[in-house]
Amino acid sequence: MRKIISLLMMSLLLILAACGNETSEPAKTNSTTKKEETVTESTESKEVNLYTSRHYDVDDELYANFEKETGIKVNVIKGEADELLERIKREGDATQADLLYTADVGRLSRAKEEGVLQSGSSELLDKQIPKKFQDNDQMWYGLTKRARVIIYNKDKVKPEELSTYEALTEDKWKGRVLIRSSENVYNQSLLASFIDINGEEKAKEWAEGIVANLARNPEGGDRDQAKAIAAGIGDVAIMNTYYYGQMLNSEDPEEVKVAEGLSVFFPNQETTGTHVNISGAGIVKHSKNKDNAIKLLEFLSAPEAQGTFATANFEYPVNPDVEPSDLLKSWGNFKEQDIQLSVLGDNNTKSIMIFNEVGWK
Amino acid sequence: MFIAIENVCFSYSNSKENAIDEFSMTIEKGEVISILGRSGSGKSSILRILAGLELPTKGTFTIGDNVLFSSNIFVHPEKRGIGLVFQDYALFPHMTVTENIRFGLFRLSKKEKEKRIKEVLELVELTGFEKRYPYQLSGGQQQRVALARALAPKPNLLLLDEPFSNLDAELQYKIRKDLRDILKKANITSIFVTHDENDAHALADRIVKIDKGKIVKVGRPCDMLGMPIKQEVMQ
Amino acid sequence: MKRLMINVNSWTISASCIIILLFLPNITILKGIFVPSNENWEHLKKFVLQNYIQTSVILVVFTAIFSIVIGLSLAWLIAQYQFPLRNFFKWALILPLAIPPFIGAYTYHGIVNYTGVIQKTLRNEFNITVNPSFFDIMNIPGAIFIYTLFLYPYVYTITRIFLSNQSASLIESAKILGKGPWQIFFQIVIPISRVAIIGGSSLVILEVLNDYGVVKYFGIQTFSTAIFQTWFGFGDIETSIKLAASLMGFVILILVFEKLFRGKKQFSFASTKVKPLPLIRLVGLKALFATSYVLIIFCFAFLIPVAQLVSWFILTFGKIPMDEFFQHIKNSVFVAGVSAAIIIFCALIIGNFSRIVKGRYVKILPKITVLGYSIPGAVIAVAVVTTFITLDRFLTPLYAVMGIDSKLVLSVSIVMLITAYIIRFFAIGYNAIESGYDKIGTDFSHASRILGAGLMRTFVKVDLPMMKGAIISGFILVFIDIMKEIPLTLILRPFNFDTLATKAFQYASDERIMEASQASLFIITISAIAIFVFHYLLEKGPK
Repeated sequence: MRKIISLLMMSLLLILAACGNETSEPAKTNSTTKKEETVTESTESKEVNLYTSRHYDVDDELYANFEKETGIKVNVIKGEADELLERIKREGDATQADLLYTADVGRLSRAKEEGVLQSGSSELLDKQIPKKFQDNDQMWYGLTKRARVIIYNKDKVKPEELSTYEALTEDKWKGRVLIRSSENVYNQSLLASFIDINGEEKAKEWAEGIVANLARNPEGGDRDQAKAIAAGIGDVAIMNTYYYGQMLNSEDPEEVKVAEGLSVFFPNQETTGTHVNISGAGIVKHSKNKDNAIKLLEFLSAPEAQGTFATANFEYPVNPDVEPSDLLKSWGNFKEQDIQLSVLGDNNTKSIMIFNEVGWK
Repeated sequence: MFIAIENVCFSYSNSKENAIDEFSMTIEKGEVISILGRSGSGKSSILRILAGLELPTKGTFTIGDNVLFSSNIFVHPEKRGIGLVFQDYALFPHMTVTENIRFGLFRLSKKEKEKRIKEVLELVELTGFEKRYPYQLSGGQQQRVALARALAPKPNLLLLDEPFSNLDAELQYKIRKDLRDILKKANITSIFVTHDENDAHALADRIVKIDKGKIVKVGRPCDMLGMPIKQEVMQ
Repeated sequence: MKRLMINVNSWTISASCIIILLFLPNITILKGIFVPSNENWEHLKKFVLQNYIQTSVILVVFTAIFSIVIGLSLAWLIAQYQFPLRNFFKWALILPLAIPPFIGAYTYHGIVNYTGVIQKTLRNEFNITVNPSFFDIMNIPGAIFIYTLFLYPYVYTITRIFLSNQSASLIESAKILGKGPWQIFFQIVIPISRVAIIGGSSLVILEVLNDYGVVKYFGIQTFSTAIFQTWFGFGDIETSIKLAASLMGFVILILVFEKLFRGKKQFSFASTKVKPLPLIRLVGLKALFATSYVLIIFCFAFLIPVAQLVSWFILTFGKIPMDEFFQHIKNSVFVAGVSAAIIIFCALIIGNFSRIVKGRYVKILPKITVLGYSIPGAVIAVAVVTTFITLDRFLTPLYAVMGIDSKLVLSVSIVMLITAYIIRFFAIGYNAIESGYDKIGTDFSHASRILGAGLMRTFVKVDLPMMKGAIISGFILVFIDIMKEIPLTLILRPFNFDTLATKAFQYASDERIMEASQASLFIITISAIAIFVFHYLLEKGPK
């Protein structure tokens, strides 16, 4: 009996492992066959493994194009940034990950701090990605930008009334401001940037002021803030351009209608600049396919891919040679915060503590 | 002397008191013994210990030359060669009458199995009910199937737990007689426990009366007659 | 003499092995309780923890109460009465279980928000603008509403099976004693089904405790929020595991308490001949009332959200890539099926073991396997990753011998994900199997052994066929739960492995609920088919 059970378990385990390998590494068989065909090609494996917290269909298309162009297969695990980071940490030197790709720069700088990234560079990368959007030690590279802006009700608010993020804490906005919960990483990064620019004291005052002016307890996602303006709950909302672009192009005509009643305002143009966050990828320290990883970064920052991000996903390109999409352009050019993006990660903990202290839910 | 039970003690895991206290007796081959006692007297525990379903704290139990338990031996129930008819029969509900009886005969050849099934069904007068499921039988019929199932593997000892408790009074009278005939015809050594004095008198060669886990009296039914019957015993 | 009875019992060995394996990753978490508290911990304690715990308690208590009220009343109506559509509802009332709560939350918010169908219709067709806060469900009562709707089937299923199998004679004697239907309900039905109610509602409670999707979207801060805030926000996984470990400790306390409570008041049913409850036919107003009550709940918990998902599906049809959907379905069904089968297999072994072996502490032992169900999946995932990487490092020499050129084999294969599922969902399968063993009692297996059959033969020939119902229901419940599982699948999957749930989550987490409808509908359809098959098999088979 004991034998039967252990035998059963063992065989099951083996079968599963086999199945798992089949689904997880189809590239291996591919690459070997290809290698046989063209013996002259380099012996490095023809794959690159990506842990990503970005969940967009357009990303998958780009990976497919990359494979078509270079013959390098992109293997993907999509998850949440922090959980993937934890997995890489625990896998240590045995990890299969080559790149960690996240939608928030704070996570990348944390990954660097935790020591799971390594430097890597190429001329092409330097050319395609401005220094500002690179890590100091070139451990990670920004690939797309999003601005966190003020969205306002065209009928009730004149753009002249708006000026800065800080101005939203004035008394005239009491009961009119909408923003989502502090659990959201975009809000954490926003406050982290204020800590860097204005100091902790001022940042806390700002958070307190916003809480005092909230139209309702924070709830829902970014899109829900825009809808709340339409519903008359509040008049201005702090949200990402990305989601506003999504709404304007929604399959639901009603959402489009809501979005059309709103407009974008880039705050702090006269002062410190509008907050931007980036999506980017870091090179994993124990990467087994570093060259391929850099090739993928080059591909994703090249004009073609950057154009796709802009048109299909409403993100601002980091490559200065690429124009934003027409929709993004229609909102106008804007001045960005002039900060080292890695501070967003450094100040993350502080900003959450401030949120907790001022009771920003 | 065929069966010897010596100094058996037993207690439940959650109690310190002995449920069975120094139970000893010997049984001759072919004898029908009745253990008589009110509920809670420990009589069912004795059956379960003999069958191997409970672990005694002390004592020995032998049938012929085989030691079934002692201080360093414990034979699992499936190896004891003892038959047991449960109080509510425990007929397997997903098996027919034949399948129920065949269940204990897995060591025999196919031919022997069929022969034995036919024999025991004739013995309990249930020929013709082979294909029925337990829920298609009356209480009395179910009991006879349970008896047939227990007798089929030719056990050295047959145990019956309150064989009449689930039957109505009229049936009880008839079945008592039938049961004694069957047991005698099969010449099988058996122990049955009951709370009913009349059952014991009608069936047993010898009666063992117990109370609070202790034997209070042993004797032939005629010796027991006229003995003052305690009120509790009648319950 | 004790050792004589237990000796060479392969059941004991296999059961102990399984329990240890299941418990191993939990130890990784539980030892986190001893991590010294740091400034993050102090910060949480000072500012937010009290509020978070309060909210969690409110969510748990009210969800449990409403789930019991709805689950028990439905179970009672279905078990006792015949009314129009009753035979359909009997299985259809389990269907809400097929909808992942986070999808339910997104869907309901989608229905009632400003651009949702209700406000839109009122505004555009009737020119009525309503106070939007009236339709706001993103708050604590809203979360309770969502949890109750999609979790009550746990109480319903377990209680209904119990009532229709066990209560006939008790209810009949109550009737003979002149009790009316309400008196019977309150004085007989509730007390006798207490064990089933506790079983079902404890699953509900654990689901609420370990959920993060609904509360995160709604902006409600619970104990899970604290766990994730320390992890994601502070990057301090030690403190977050410490929090999770405290939650586990709390659940252990409850388990012990429940066992003590149950231990004294256990109702055992002397007779193994359970008689099904004869149905009372309702007519006229009463029938109308019964049908409409059940129908209303069914609408809210299933029809309305599904209709909304279907309409979104139509809106987005052709706009999202479909080519890999077949693969996703295959993946989902494969992992859910295999994991559920292993869970049931292990549950049968452990259940049988705890039945054969006597002694009270042995019986509590399998209960610790429920721990995996009590904390957020992401934390379990970390524990599983740690365990598997340790295992892989241990096995590296073996891999070298086998000619595998990699240090990580198990932890990059699907074995890791399936193991995590088993750890997490074992409790659900075990609950079903345990109640199945309880129902058949020990007489049959004793009878079998006395007839000369060993433990194995007894198990295969007697226990298994009689456990058919419990096996099927346990399998289906686990299967559905895995179909809709999110955090474990996201973190522990191998490369390029997508399931329907990860697809649905991918869109929903990006606030694209419309695009998520397709994958969600597939999850619901497959689970619904599973539920129907389960119903069909149970109805057909002999009792």
